[in-house]
Formats: sequence, C-alpha cells, structure tokens
Amino acid sequence: MTATIDWAPVLDTDPLLQISQDLFATMIDAEPGHVHHWVGSRPELVDPRYTWVDVTDEQIVRVVIGTGRETGEAITRALLALPDDAEVTDEDFMDAVGEVANVVCGNVKSLVTHPGTLTIPVVAHAAPPLGDGTVLVDACLSWRGAPLTVALWLLP
Amino acid sequence: MKVVVADDSRVMRQIVVRTLRQAGYDWWEIEEAEDGADALGKIRASRPDFVLSDWNMPNMTGIDLLRALRAEGDETPFAFVTSEGSPQMREQAEQAGALFLIAKPFTADIFRETIDPFIG
Repeated sequence: MTATIDWAPVLDTDPLLQISQDLFATMIDAEPGHVHHWVGSRPELVDPRYTWVDVTDEQIVRVVIGTGRETGEAITRALLALPDDAEVTDEDFMDAVGEVANVVCGNVKSLVTHPGTLTIPVVAHAAPPLGDGTVLVDACLSWRGAPLTVALWLLP
Repeated sequence: MKVVVADDSRVMRQIVVRTLRQAGYDWWEIEEAEDGADALGKIRASRPDFVLSDWNMPNMTGIDLLRALRAEGDETPFAFVTSEGSPQMREQAEQAGALFLIAKPFTADIFRETIDPFIG
C-alpha cells in the first residue's frame, strides 16, 4: 500500500528557496540576504558537481543540488570557517556539500511528513539518472551571484 | 563537563562544536564520535555528562544509540541535532528518552535557548 503524502507544501520553488535561505543565512553566511531566485535564463554550471539525498520508502523522494566546483569550494570553506584562499580537499568538499543536501532533504521531509528514512549523501560529477521519475520542483538559485540548482524528484 | 558529539559528517561535527563554543559552552570537554556505534563505545568508556547526536548515521543511528543506552540502564542526558525536525521525529525522540531535538540549520542562539534549560 502506498503511503499518502501531501506534496502541496513543496510544489513550488518557494519552500526550497526558504529552506536554502535559512540554511545559508545561519550556517554559511552568518547573515541573511545572499540567496535569491536566479534571474534570467538558467546558466550552465562550470565544472559541475551534484549531490543528492533520498528519503526512502515506497515512494522515493530525492533532493538533488547542483553547483560548480568553485562555488562548492566556497561553501565548504564557509562551513569549515576556513580562509578564502584555503585549499579544499575532496573529502571536505564531499562532506560539506553533502551536508547541504542532507539539511535541505531533511527539511523537505519535515514539510511533507514523509514516513521514510534519509540516505547518506552522494556527491558526483553528474546528476543521477531520473529514469521514470518525476521532477516535482526544479529551482535555480543564486548564492552570492553563483548559480545553485535545487531539485526535488519523485522516483518510482 | 564531558560531552560526546556524534555525527557521521566531520564537517557537521566541527560546526556543532563551533556553535556550542559560540553559545557559551566553551568550558565543555567535547569528544567526537563518527557514528552511533563509535559513540556507544566512547560513552561506555568515558561516561560523559551529556550526549548530542545526529539521527541518520551509518552503522548505528542516533535513535538506536539512545535505545541501546537506555536498554543497558545508561541514563546519560541525550539530545539530537538532526536535519529532520518533524513532530513525528520529535515525538519519537521524546518517547525514547531524549531531552530535546534541534533541527538543522541552527544558530548559537537556538543552541543556548534549547540547551540551557536542561544542561546549563
């Protein structure tokens, strides 16, 4: 039997924007005002990285975040309170951007009261295949002028 | 005061510890654990005064860690810092014996306001 999940709270990009704004304001920027909807046509991510976390149950919900490597490194430095010129290791990069996806996915799960369990974050050079899944939300945000994509998928 | 902070993300452990310091708990002696199983061993060995744990972790989740402690009669004050803050999760945490649940993202103010009534 498929669990009944009310998707209404997230069927708009604004909840993902709100979650992202809260996350960046509190844990990355230490002040609000640096995350907005992207204005204009969606740009290509330069040297892209994707991170995703699933909520597993009979319906799988996947939060997929895309960013350029350079932007991901800036996020990592901010989370780790490193200087602007500090080298970012792959291990720290994957841990930090994975945590961003983890927090966004956890907040999405709370909004829709999905009964499932969060998976451990995955980080890769390409987005995972959508397959027969459905894109519920696909937002392009701007963090300090750099593009950041946040998508919500429903997988069979 | 000895405290164990458990999270499978080293980055998040660092953020939690940094936020605890910013919230005024800079006198706490903090030991880090990288998952629930690691935390269980460290809690048994060091007998901390407080445990602050993530929920979703490999090897042993935070809720399984809490249940394991209570099952062996360990009543160490325990709380969650996790990305999920739904009412269902909070109820589950409370029923298992957690003092509170702080949802990510968080601030030093949230830490202070939440922790002080229990641990301050």
